[in-house]
Amino acid sequence: MSYAYLFKYIIIGDTGVGKSCLLLQFTDKRFQPVHDLTIGVEFGARMITIDGKQIKLQIWDTAGQEAFRSITRSYYRGAAGALLVYDITRRETFNHLTTWLEDARQHSNSNMVIMLIGNKSDLDSRREVKKEEGEAFAREHGLVFMETSARTAANVEEAFINTAKEIYEKIQEGVFDINNEANGIKIGQQATPTNPALPGAGGAGGAGNSGCC
Amino acid sequence: MEFLKSGIKTVLGSTEPGQQPSAAETVEKLVERVYSSTLLEDRRDACRALKALSRKYRIEVGAQGMPPLVQVLQNDGQDAEIISYALDTLCNIVTSEEFDEEADNPAVSVNVGEQFTEMFIKCPEHVSLIMGYLDEYDFRVRRASIQLLTSLIANKTRELQELVLVSPMGVSKLMDLLSDSREVIRNDVLLLLVELTKSNSNIQKIVAFENAFDRLFDIVQEEGNSDGGIVVEDCLILLLNLLKNNTSNTQFFKEGSYINRLAPMFKLNEDAQWTPQKVSNLHCLLQVVRALVTPSNPQQLVAACQRAMHQTQLLQALCELLMSSGVPADILTETINAVAEVVRGEHENQLALSQVLAPSQPPRPAIVVLLMSMINEKQLLGLRLAVLYCFACYLYRNADAQRQVVQTLLPSNASEASSALSTGQLLCTGLFSSDALANWCSSVALMHTLVEQVPLKEELLRVLLATADGQRPITLLAQCCKLLQQDQQRLQSKLGLLQLLSVWLAHCPGAVKALLETHGTMAYLTAQLCANEHDEREYLLQGMCAFLMGLCIQFNDNSLATQRREDIVQLVIKRIGQETFCRKLQEVSRHEAYSRACKQAQLRVKGAADLLLDFEYCKLYKGLEALVAKLVSGFDVDGIELTELTLSSEASALVAQYKGIIRGLDTQIQTLQQHSQELEQKSTSLQQQLEQEQLLKSQLADQHTLLKAQLGATQSNGVDATTAAAAASSSANDEQLNAARFQANMYFAENIRLTKELDTMRQQLQLEKQRADDAQASLTTLQKDQEDLLELLADQEAKLAKCEVATTAGAAPPNISSS
Repeated sequence: MSYAYLFKYIIIGDTGVGKSCLLLQFTDKRFQPVHDLTIGVEFGARMITIDGKQIKLQIWDTAGQEAFRSITRSYYRGAAGALLVYDITRRETFNHLTTWLEDARQHSNSNMVIMLIGNKSDLDSRREVKKEEGEAFAREHGLVFMETSARTAANVEEAFINTAKEIYEKIQEGVFDINNEANGIKIGQQATPTNPALPGAGGAGGAGNSGCC
Repeated sequence: MEFLKSGIKTVLGSTEPGQQPSAAETVEKLVERVYSSTLLEDRRDACRALKALSRKYRIEVGAQGMPPLVQVLQNDGQDAEIISYALDTLCNIVTSEEFDEEADNPAVSVNVGEQFTEMFIKCPEHVSLIMGYLDEYDFRVRRASIQLLTSLIANKTRELQELVLVSPMGVSKLMDLLSDSREVIRNDVLLLLVELTKSNSNIQKIVAFENAFDRLFDIVQEEGNSDGGIVVEDCLILLLNLLKNNTSNTQFFKEGSYINRLAPMFKLNEDAQWTPQKVSNLHCLLQVVRALVTPSNPQQLVAACQRAMHQTQLLQALCELLMSSGVPADILTETINAVAEVVRGEHENQLALSQVLAPSQPPRPAIVVLLMSMINEKQLLGLRLAVLYCFACYLYRNADAQRQVVQTLLPSNASEASSALSTGQLLCTGLFSSDALANWCSSVALMHTLVEQVPLKEELLRVLLATADGQRPITLLAQCCKLLQQDQQRLQSKLGLLQLLSVWLAHCPGAVKALLETHGTMAYLTAQLCANEHDEREYLLQGMCAFLMGLCIQFNDNSLATQRREDIVQLVIKRIGQETFCRKLQEVSRHEAYSRACKQAQLRVKGAADLLLDFEYCKLYKGLEALVAKLVSGFDVDGIELTELTLSSEASALVAQYKGIIRGLDTQIQTLQQHSQELEQKSTSLQQQLEQEQLLKSQLADQHTLLKAQLGATQSNGVDATTAAAAASSSANDEQLNAARFQANMYFAENIRLTKELDTMRQQLQLEKQRADDAQASLTTLQKDQEDLLELLADQEAKLAKCEVATTAGAAPPNISSS
């Protein structure tokens, strides 16, 4: 399948926050309730449409455990987008966000788009982190924020697609050097040379089957 | 050497003639100089001298020189020259390669490089120090550090992999070097990455993440694709490392559409020569293809890759390679293996393969041409086995292809197929050829047409073969049995035939019957099981005979009066013994060939003699061995089947389940019957009551009319009386009238009440009747159920009865002829 752009994502965050489940829900549209520890890094991919353009997402789902940290660090540099995930029912996963963010900022390229995700929104009765807290953290650190549920699929599509939109807009603005593949962006055969000077091109149109926010 | 000596002289000053210092002393002086010299030039010269000595006096330099060299690396980073000397020296010390200069030195053992590597990496900082010098752009430094790292990794792969992984951005940094514009550097990094990615999936994934696939394909393209030099081979080896046993990377490779880039590499230049390098390149390329679709990968992923290979014309390119002339034998073999795995279990691809035509006169299907090679004695073993594998993969989960092969053998098709060679004919030719390997391969190939296809097993029973001496035609199955019994047949052929027969008989009572009807087969099997040969392979043969005999019991439909399952078990008990039978049965799974064949679908053997068992046969064996053993040991000495024991666990569970259901239904029927009886009783009592009431009512009605008549009479009497003027009697009459009226009213009211009661009674009766009907209906359905279940029970009872009969007959056991 041909694509206009290819974006590389990574998913990071504490162990057990649902990173692999988010990926599985996004790529296979199913939920696996059994906690299966990720060893190192696993790969997944899906095609989406933004602004009428086919965009291929290649996603590397990393292990959250401390033991794999040195391995997962190797993935920051080459990624265009990162989903930083915490679990709204476990306060400590929210508390660790600062460490994760520092790590990401230190090893990634400066233009990497980071989306903050509070997962497990279906477990509202056990909630330990208020939505407002997530929003505040995101605002403070210049991230996009969203609460998702890999179980019910709520906002999962949106999380991945909105990150892609953000990257797409940065490309339109000419922020990303798209010829450097180390940025986690690749131009496909389908892409027509875009003119960053055109202002209208940045508006992301119908994105797959997701609702626009 | 002269230059060397002069170099040393300049460093150490000239020594007195005739007093040559020993190598160790020289090294000691040089080390001292590296440590203590304040001038960079002096240290640099000492390093240069150490480097020069390190090839010939590796042990001396390695033993003393490591600490000063590390010190240089730590302190003299600003001088590229001295760093490059230090790195080169270390590289010479730790390399596993043996130098010409030290060939005559007995002190240098084989693994001296490995030992020095171990010493060097004891301190992990040393490795990070070297990694640091990768950033140095200077050619000599960068190249030397790459080479040193390569040597270290080659010697102590696991340890170095861990060290590189924890080194910040270690792998990424190495990947960056792949883009170095200096080809030498790039090529050296390729070699380094080949070593680094060996069986470490974490590193493999990071390397793939760092756009390795793109980079490698770019390099391969720059270097001239499959016609390119050794760099192409290095790229392909690295590619193979990244994909082998790494599903995540395989997925990435597939999703990244890199299969697209593989296909054109198989396009061969018409007049290009098959240079050794090209053979190596293509060999690696084929390995890469196979790594993507190997049956050991998850099935979903394999299928996705297979489809992509069809869409991108990769399969087509492989088939073209297969059919082109002048291809070296090992490439051809590997191509056949690759085609096999690309089509295995994927219907579209299998169909595509069946449509490939060989450029022969007349054009024949590629499959036919391949089978011709398989039964050709003169072909190489590897090639013949590859064809068998390819054929098996072509038939794997492909009922259409299986049917087509069987159909070429059926009588109706024989005449029209006679003009062109058919697959079936070729297999028969192989089956009856004098070459044991051809026998084996053909038996196994034919076996694959029957795997999981009971209807085809029935069909194949109809195959008749013309006999040479003009006698009656003989069935294929009978011929196979006949061959099996011939003494001059070699063991390998017999093993092949036994595998074919076993798969044929499994789950096919018709084939069991046919085999039992052949002459002498059971006697042969019995004789094999009684035999006491000590050759390991004879054991295997005996075990397989036991298995075949077990199948004759397990899938026997008792349609032959003297060869029912009990009869055969009797035979086993009387002639062989249950213990012996089971012991021989175990010989198969205990054999080395069994565990080897079980491992993977592809046969991998060193020599033709090792070719004994096939993967699919082993699969069948694994599934049925326990069942057969249980079945045979489940008969008691008199040949009576201990029913519960011989039922498989599922079957007995099923029987138990049915028993439970029957019991439940029984109680249900009883309660319902009781209920309906009660209802009937109630209904009759109500009927009686109703009749009584009706009687009463009619009586009352009669009384009522009588009274009415009386009233009328009294009234007319009253009128007469007034006219007759008898005032006294009128009051008495009035009184009487009133009483009568009152009585009439009372009767009237009573009448109404009774009518009402009658109505309610009727309603109640209706209701009860309805209920009785319902009960009757449910009763009949339950009775029906019961009948079904009774039938089932009857079956069981019949079985039991049979056993009892057998018990009584046990006193006079049936006479079994063993001839």
